Amino acid sequence: MTPVCIALLTVLAPLVSATVIALCLRRAGTLAAAISVTAAVIVAAGAFTLAIGGARFEASMTWLRLGSFALSLGFKFDDLAALMLVIVGIVGLCVHVFSLGYMHDDAAKARYFGGLSVFMFSMLGIVFAGNLFMMFIFWELVGFSSWLLINHWHEKQSASDASKKAFITNRVGDFGFLLGIILCYWTNGTVNLSELAAGHHVYSTLIPLLLFCGAVGKSAQLPLQVWLPDAMEGPTPVSALIHAATMVAAGIYMLCRINVLMVPQALTVIMWIGTATALYAALCAIAQRDIKKILAYSTLSQLGYMVAAFGLGSKMIPISDTVVDAAGQTAVSHWAMLGAATGVGAAMFHLTTHAFFKALLFLGSGSVIHGCHHEQDIFKMGGLSSRMKLTFATFTIGVAAIIGLPFLAGFFSKDAILYLAYVNNKAVFAILAFTAILTALYMTRLWRITFFGEPRSDSAAHAHEGGLTLTLPLVVLAALAVLAGYTGIYPKVFGGVFDLIPEAHGADHLVILLTSLFVLLVGAGTAFLFYPPAATDALEQKSPGLFRLLASKLWFDEIYTYYIDKVQQRFALLLSFLEQILLAGVIIRGLAGLVGLVGLGARALQVGRINVYVYWFFAGVVILWLFATGVF
Amino acid sequence: MAPALFYLFALLTVASAVGVVANKNAVNAAMSFLLCLVGVAGLFVQLDAYLLAFLLLLVYAGAVVALFLFIIMLLDTQGRQNWGFKKFSTFTSLVALGLLLTGLGTFVARGQLDAPNPNAAGGVGAALKPYAYQLFTTYLLPVQVMGFLLLIAMLGVIVLSKRIDGPEDAK
Amino acid sequence: MITATLNEYVILSVVLFAIGFFGVLLRKNTLVIFMSLELMLVASTLGLVAFSRYNHTLDGNVFVFFILTVAAAEVAVGLAIIVALFRKRHTIQVDELNSLKN
Repeated sequence: MTPVCIALLTVLAPLVSATVIALCLRRAGTLAAAISVTAAVIVAAGAFTLAIGGARFEASMTWLRLGSFALSLGFKFDDLAALMLVIVGIVGLCVHVFSLGYMHDDAAKARYFGGLSVFMFSMLGIVFAGNLFMMFIFWELVGFSSWLLINHWHEKQSASDASKKAFITNRVGDFGFLLGIILCYWTNGTVNLSELAAGHHVYSTLIPLLLFCGAVGKSAQLPLQVWLPDAMEGPTPVSALIHAATMVAAGIYMLCRINVLMVPQALTVIMWIGTATALYAALCAIAQRDIKKILAYSTLSQLGYMVAAFGLGSKMIPISDTVVDAAGQTAVSHWAMLGAATGVGAAMFHLTTHAFFKALLFLGSGSVIHGCHHEQDIFKMGGLSSRMKLTFATFTIGVAAIIGLPFLAGFFSKDAILYLAYVNNKAVFAILAFTAILTALYMTRLWRITFFGEPRSDSAAHAHEGGLTLTLPLVVLAALAVLAGYTGIYPKVFGGVFDLIPEAHGADHLVILLTSLFVLLVGAGTAFLFYPPAATDALEQKSPGLFRLLASKLWFDEIYTYYIDKVQQRFALLLSFLEQILLAGVIIRGLAGLVGLVGLGARALQVGRINVYVYWFFAGVVILWLFATGVF
Repeated sequence: MAPALFYLFALLTVASAVGVVANKNAVNAAMSFLLCLVGVAGLFVQLDAYLLAFLLLLVYAGAVVALFLFIIMLLDTQGRQNWGFKKFSTFTSLVALGLLLTGLGTFVARGQLDAPNPNAAGGVGAALKPYAYQLFTTYLLPVQVMGFLLLIAMLGVIVLSKRIDGPEDAK
Repeated sequence: MITATLNEYVILSVVLFAIGFFGVLLRKNTLVIFMSLELMLVASTLGLVAFSRYNHTLDGNVFVFFILTVAAAEVAVGLAIIVALFRKRHTIQVDELNSLKN
């Protein structure tokens, strides 16, 4: 089969699965699960075949043609897409297998697996998308499937609210995204990703910033980050797949795709937003009780890292001596070319490692929640290290990876970002280093309180390991969390991305190494000493003011709620009133009434008497005569 | 002599036409119609269309009016109509009359058609041969169509006058 | 006496036509309405012959042939319809033949 065929099969398999489930299998949960997992296997197999097989292609077909405007649907499969495809395939398959065990007793299994299949289809659409319009279509589809899956237990009011919040917040970001796409089309004449080029015109800063709005919404950056913690209302595998590894990473992926459009001013804005998000989320994570919410804020923080890494690529950095071999001129141009691309390399590297260890952490927490019979408060857990050994082991690997323990995946990717920050912007470097301390702090807090000490509730005391479907994905992901940092083991096929990762040399290398070790020890050590595995939060006890400040999440939700209630809702009521009176009343019913009146009048003419009809003939003749004599 | 004849026949025609419209009795109206046709035939003779005059009398007055009389006798049960002057029809008729007079007046005052002296050239319609010649050359198609039309009319009348209910009504 | 020119014939034709039209408007008996219709046809034939005469052509005269034929056919069919209608509704006053009302 040609690569295009394999690509089509990979994209369409989940769609077929979703359609079959939606049409026929509403009640047959087990069969739906089997079909969905089969589709995930096909996706993973297709992903490996395409990525490792080395096929890189572009293919498109015109879908819509309106005059001179043509909308095409096409695949752009280069190294970046191959990498993303492999991530989506592996994590997707692990989550599907995990869901078999986790959702085994759920009443609406079929709907859940149908939603998972729809999500896989939409995400693959984004990965393969060859132009911005197509990406936007699948962007919205991903938002829809996220809504569907967060809303899985829709009997719970909080779940419905959270799904609506996620969708609407995404919509706000997508509005900017759409404006950016339209503006890009208007100035460049094309939205095909291969044909884009940054020109020097008045909109060259505005376009990347507007397109970045889409990433702000989808990847939950400030100020649109409010939906991600609430999205934890969905089932844990959903959180693992969508809100940790793939959908929220779609924003980063999109930024890397439109890398050619970036200008230094836009990159600066992006960098600061990412940094602020990282810091804010890390601060909020310290004061959370729910295991999934802590992981959600951790995801927010890591996404901030990725966005900041992308934004940091605006300045040129010296690359290794062996590459610069010509005289000064060519060296400068070589640096200039790679300037912005190092951001892509660092961001995508961290995205890869983050996908694996964050999915591991979420699935591990899912296993913990499942073992403790759906208890999610970490202060009611404890003592699980002896009762759920495999989960404990894999979760530890995940925690070690995220805090940057040397030789695990997170160490290498975080180092790359820190190095990039060190070279480009020392202020950002300081903030990111501080955030790394906080990351180590809250993750160690989580790890310690959840797994150590005495069980603090009955469900924790009776915790047990889940079945093979729950543990196998954990093992796979743990292995990847260890190995994903060694770029050497990636086949050369991903060279297009991994060649761009900045590597420190000489004195810088030592500085970064020392910094990362320092933050790790400070953060983990502080948490280990400060937080005993007790039933209450130590920080809450020792300084309630600080704790309240951190737990308030800077009142983002309250501000938005106030705005929506007082401002937007009133405006919406006004519009609704206008619509009832004006549109529905005057215009629509008025027009209908007018037509009715005309009909009434016309009906009154039918008296059934021939004489009257002849009079009407006569009237017609008179009018004709008036026309003829020129009166009219 | 000719003008006097014209006015005589014209008066006859118009008077009997009014009689057709105004007569309460339908049979009287048919008789007036007959008289009207006689007047028009005379006018045709004035216009040197002798063949047409006779044709008019034969076909119209002889066949059509006779047919009318048959049907009137067959159907007209009360033979009396009351001239209820309704406001609407009176008003409209007066308006129509006014328009008519306006039109005629305009025509008389301004729209005079100049026609050549009729006696300068000889009467064209006097002989039969030119008619026949025209009918069979220039107007051959309309003649055939007329034949077809008469056939259809005959078929139509036969179909229409069939009793759908069957022979029960005959009792 | 004024010689009868074309104008007089045209005026006469128009007057006859108008009288026939009034008959159609004002009478209630279907048969009389039909007769007025025939009156209008006759008026038009008069006009045609007059024009044909004063233009020295034969076309108008020949056309009257066809009008006569059509009138005859129309009368036959129309009267057949009226008879069929009478059989159904037992009236020929147009006031009462108003089943298409409203």
